[in-house]
Amino acid sequence: MTKPLFVLSLLLAAAPSFAAVGCDLNDPDRDVARLFPGSTGYKTAYLSVKTLGGGKMLARIEARLGDKFKGLYETIDVPYTLYTVTKGTVTAGYIHGVNQKSEYGGTQVFLALGTDARIKAFYIQKLTSKAAKELRSAAFSAPFTGLSLKEFEAYDPAAAKLPETGPLSVLKSPSPRARKDFLSVLRAVKKNLILLDEFVFSPAPGAGTSAGGAAK
Amino acid sequence: MYKIPLILLAFAPAAQAESRLLYLEAQAVGGYSSMEKKTVAHSMTADEVMQKPSAGFDLLQKFSGTSGDAATLALQGRLSWDPDAHNRLEPQLYNAYFRARAPFGYLWAGHNRTAAGLESYFDTHGALLQTLPMYGYGLDRDWGAGFSRDTAWGGTALSMTTGSGMRPRGAGGWLLSGRVSRGVLSRDNFSAGAYASAGRVPRTAGYRVMENNRPYTAFGSDLALLLDNWEFRSDLRFGKLRGSDYFSALGRLGLNLLEENRLKLEAQGVYSGLKREEGWILGSGASYALTSDLACRALFEYDAVMRDRRVTTQLYYYLKI
Repeated sequence: MTKPLFVLSLLLAAAPSFAAVGCDLNDPDRDVARLFPGSTGYKTAYLSVKTLGGGKMLARIEARLGDKFKGLYETIDVPYTLYTVTKGTVTAGYIHGVNQKSEYGGTQVFLALGTDARIKAFYIQKLTSKAAKELRSAAFSAPFTGLSLKEFEAYDPAAAKLPETGPLSVLKSPSPRARKDFLSVLRAVKKNLILLDEFVFSPAPGAGTSAGGAAK
Repeated sequence: MYKIPLILLAFAPAAQAESRLLYLEAQAVGGYSSMEKKTVAHSMTADEVMQKPSAGFDLLQKFSGTSGDAATLALQGRLSWDPDAHNRLEPQLYNAYFRARAPFGYLWAGHNRTAAGLESYFDTHGALLQTLPMYGYGLDRDWGAGFSRDTAWGGTALSMTTGSGMRPRGAGGWLLSGRVSRGVLSRDNFSAGAYASAGRVPRTAGYRVMENNRPYTAFGSDLALLLDNWEFRSDLRFGKLRGSDYFSALGRLGLNLLEENRLKLEAQGVYSGLKREEGWILGSGASYALTSDLACRALFEYDAVMRDRRVTTQLYYYLKI
């Protein structure tokens, strides 16, 4: 028994370590209908930085984010789940979630974007925190509506500081105890907007999405 | 960059997007059992399916029509190796079901989780610490069909299965299970369920039928609770099994530590209350995520029913391909 076990252990230890599990809606039927009232359907697709653009895309995303991808939730081959929401035969928008390190493990932050790339709805699915109720409240999520990546470019996750003026100045931590998770949420929202921009709205030439070619 | 022609976006699906997820799974398992008085390559007994040195895959395929997602195919299998087992090399099939959207919820057919207890939604197919079915009360997965409906407050599920567990060929048995739950764990940080099962099921150990069909009932309640970096799970179950009344209970406490919860410490107590086989199984373990694909785990378990003290270690690998 010992020899095969030892060999298998060596194989495992020597193998590359990149994959991770993605971020899905708990109940897509219910969540899509809630985030896009009047929608008639949705289609699920799995995307990854590795297959769409590889290391170059990852470097570009990190540069736009102003922070490095790190840890278990931000490997290059994390499968991102994109829900393309339809109303009849027309695309009504997109729903996309990301995992983000927070005070107690991981938080899942979903954005519902219209075809104009602006946030229609903001939704924290998984969050283990004493401040979860505050961060999930309508009062906290409402100011995110209408914002886009253009506004979030002013936020620097590495410095963890919001601009004092401009559209993002309305975003506030709901309480002092929610501060750490609030900063995690802001980083997740910016990361999410950048990924959607890369995947759907304006991918770089050669990144491999037909949406990008059309948009440009 | 932000002024995108809407008409083009409306018909622009993301190319190179995939409709499937495929993972490679491999694990090395080794330990020592005081009952067997030797090193072993299994975390439970040699006759049970989990956990053993193995390699396998995990596939999730989405099917979409013009109106969007229509169905999902899940296939999850592995080839396990254990020198002490009845079949040294054993192909094992866990998920093997087709799940389709219906106006009232989801319908599934194949090999899937029955609508009872923690095992109805808590996946332990790669873990050392197990839920009640691996201690003889219920089935981790079973062949048959079922339906589920998620609601704003929780969900309902019903399943009609063969009661044969892992074994694809039924033994003439049947098992009807239903569960109602409140709360969604990954949203509400809690899920509480009440369930009932009734049928005629064989006594099985892995893929082997040990005894013919006999009446089986289970009534119970399960609970999962997340609080900051603490996790609590419980499952209380009673009914009739192999002609005797039983009561079984599971309680598990978990503590997540380090960056991104890389380290998890857990302690679990299982009470096995089948008449003439009463006793506790106490376990404590640790799991550490070395990378996003590779975890190492260790478990010490004291089984008063079998009079066994086991130490098990595991390297578990799960890679997207």
